[in-house]
Amino acid sequence: MDSDAKNPSCLLYGPLDARFEDRPVPVLSDPHDVILRIAYTGVCGSDVHFWLDGGIRTYVSEARPLTMGHEASGTIHAVGSAVSSLVPGDKVAIEPGYPCSRCERCKSGRYHLCPEMKFAADPPKVHGTLSKYFLLPASFCYKLPESISLSEAALMEPLAVAVHAIRLADIKPGSRVIVFGAATVGLFCAAVAREFGASTVVSVDILEHKLRFAQKFVGSSVGRTAMPDSSLTPEENAKRLVEEHQLGEGADIAIDASGAEASVQTAIFALRMGGTFVQVGMGKRKIEFPISELCEHEITARGSFRYGAGDFDLGIRLVGQGKIILSGIITKVFPFESATEAWETAKRGEGTKTLIEGPRN
Amino acid sequence: MAPKNLSFILEKAGQVKYEDRPIPKLSSPYDVLVNVKRTGICGSDVHYWVHGAIGPFVVKDPMVLGHESSGVIAEVGSAVTTLKPGDRVAMEPGVPCRRCVRCKEGGYNLCPDMKFAATPPYDGTLAKYYVLPEDFCYKLGDNMSLEEGAMVEPLSVAIHVSRQGQIKPGQSVVIFGAGPIGLLCCGVAKALGAKKIIAVDIQEQRLEFAKKYAATGSYISAKVPATENAENIKKEFDLGNGADVAIDASGVEPSIQTGIHVLRSGGTYVQAGNGKPDVVFPIMAMSNKEITTKSSFRYSTGDYQLAVDLLSSGRLSVKELITNQYPFLEAEKAFEETKGGKGVKIIIEGPEE
Repeated sequence: MDSDAKNPSCLLYGPLDARFEDRPVPVLSDPHDVILRIAYTGVCGSDVHFWLDGGIRTYVSEARPLTMGHEASGTIHAVGSAVSSLVPGDKVAIEPGYPCSRCERCKSGRYHLCPEMKFAADPPKVHGTLSKYFLLPASFCYKLPESISLSEAALMEPLAVAVHAIRLADIKPGSRVIVFGAATVGLFCAAVAREFGASTVVSVDILEHKLRFAQKFVGSSVGRTAMPDSSLTPEENAKRLVEEHQLGEGADIAIDASGAEASVQTAIFALRMGGTFVQVGMGKRKIEFPISELCEHEITARGSFRYGAGDFDLGIRLVGQGKIILSGIITKVFPFESATEAWETAKRGEGTKTLIEGPRN
Repeated sequence: MAPKNLSFILEKAGQVKYEDRPIPKLSSPYDVLVNVKRTGICGSDVHYWVHGAIGPFVVKDPMVLGHESSGVIAEVGSAVTTLKPGDRVAMEPGVPCRRCVRCKEGGYNLCPDMKFAATPPYDGTLAKYYVLPEDFCYKLGDNMSLEEGAMVEPLSVAIHVSRQGQIKPGQSVVIFGAGPIGLLCCGVAKALGAKKIIAVDIQEQRLEFAKKYAATGSYISAKVPATENAENIKKEFDLGNGADVAIDASGVEPSIQTGIHVLRSGGTYVQAGNGKPDVVFPIMAMSNKEITTKSSFRYSTGDYQLAVDLLSSGRLSVKELITNQYPFLEAEKAFEETKGGKGVKIIIEGPEE
């Protein structure tokens, strides 16, 4: 790509077809908006899905390619005339989706469910953060405390996903929690559950090295790990889990951060009567679900989607105060031009979180 | 020459005038211009008219009065999709910033940058025209009059109060103050399925009206200790250990006290009325009975729409609360009559009628 490109960007044209192009530099038109210079963009499971399939429900195309990326951090480049909370040079984590703020969902405090949500890298029209500059409302940028670096700030987005799930799960002091999946979001769910006062948090995964990391990440006072036996049924695995970790009549709360059908089923069987299940992981769009169990045990099942009011704030506060330590989560950083290698790395399941740098010049 | 936008303005306490103000401009493609047709008068409007201030809100520059309005859409911005010129609407007169923590959490009535009609320094709706965002205008049912449209504002206040109180079917509710808000709270409690709705006031005729309207019983406050009034109410209306919900729509200290004492253990108290800024409060009774004390300020998401739905479906009627109507050029008489306290709701017509 041209070295005098003003706003180098990485666009996806279709499966396995990414191209680097110069896109128009964003212009401030709303006085409440800011433009930031992107420092890092993290790779999410959904980015891998886009790379392989060209989209999830909505797709990019040759006619409508789209800049990828949504887990980002950066430095404020310019601010609109009505912005007083941020100035050029401020380091921020960003919440990459802004709602209409006028509809019933927005006004009832659930703006993340706005039907007109403009979310980064959402086809067909909303460009993502894999570019030099990015435009969004000032109220969706979060100034970082000194203790959080720009690379760590790219983790604030998946952390907000975890905070959102944990808040929906209504974890209280003393809660016994199981989190299925020990990738980034699962790890964060476990740590946030700990911060919300859970007395036991069991991280479940099928990979040994992920469980080893989880044990260190969550800590031994509250954290436990468990690996399911693939020869057992979900009901049998659940029983074993509950017994081995002395969860009494069952866990109070189970969170699925894996998207795997067997995990979802095991979660339902591992809950006590009246327990709560939260689905935050994404996998097969339709699965076989133990609905009779749900009914007979009066289990509450809730979907969790992205993040909403207060989630970024809380995540940043937890990290800023040293309650959640991020070391070890970022396992590889790629230069901007190697974005597709970053996606391939994540596709192979290597490491925990892979980052892509923003364009250097 | 005919004025373009005749407006009714408060210059300072006790001094009003009519002035032709410029027609307001749409501030965004999502705005609409409303031709205001009916405006009800509220206790707060009277307060500004008499005192020129309410607490920290002081009228420094001449201000258009009024905020309980209905109107007809005159013009729509380029991005408006649900309204067109000619549509009759109830007007929600307070626009929040939509960006702050309170707004994002869903409690936009608590927005620190709320721009509320006729709260200084923002002009009110007693003019020919008023600008609002599309989503703060609510289409009236075909069977609703413009007068009922103007009642949507105080009705929304009552709905918000009832939501704070979490009134459920089968519950007993005691409502202190049988002015417009207290009466509307009786109506909403009935629409929400409350079994016993007791109106309390010091004026006999207000209580007669309350019983004809929506209350199942009424009680005249005696000049006895609050605990005694509370016991009397509990006995007379067979409330057992006490009512489930108590709403104060009077702002008066003895009513606030009686409200706490009339509740059962675990009951809910809602402060809706404004009176003295500081009162003597029965904190020990609240504490020992584990009462949830809530307060209610204006209205928030969903209240206006529910008000319109309750009226257009016929589940609630407010026509009987409209006791008089004045032409625009006699607006001050409407203020005088409201201040006199004899009727319930007095309405002022728009400048063109």
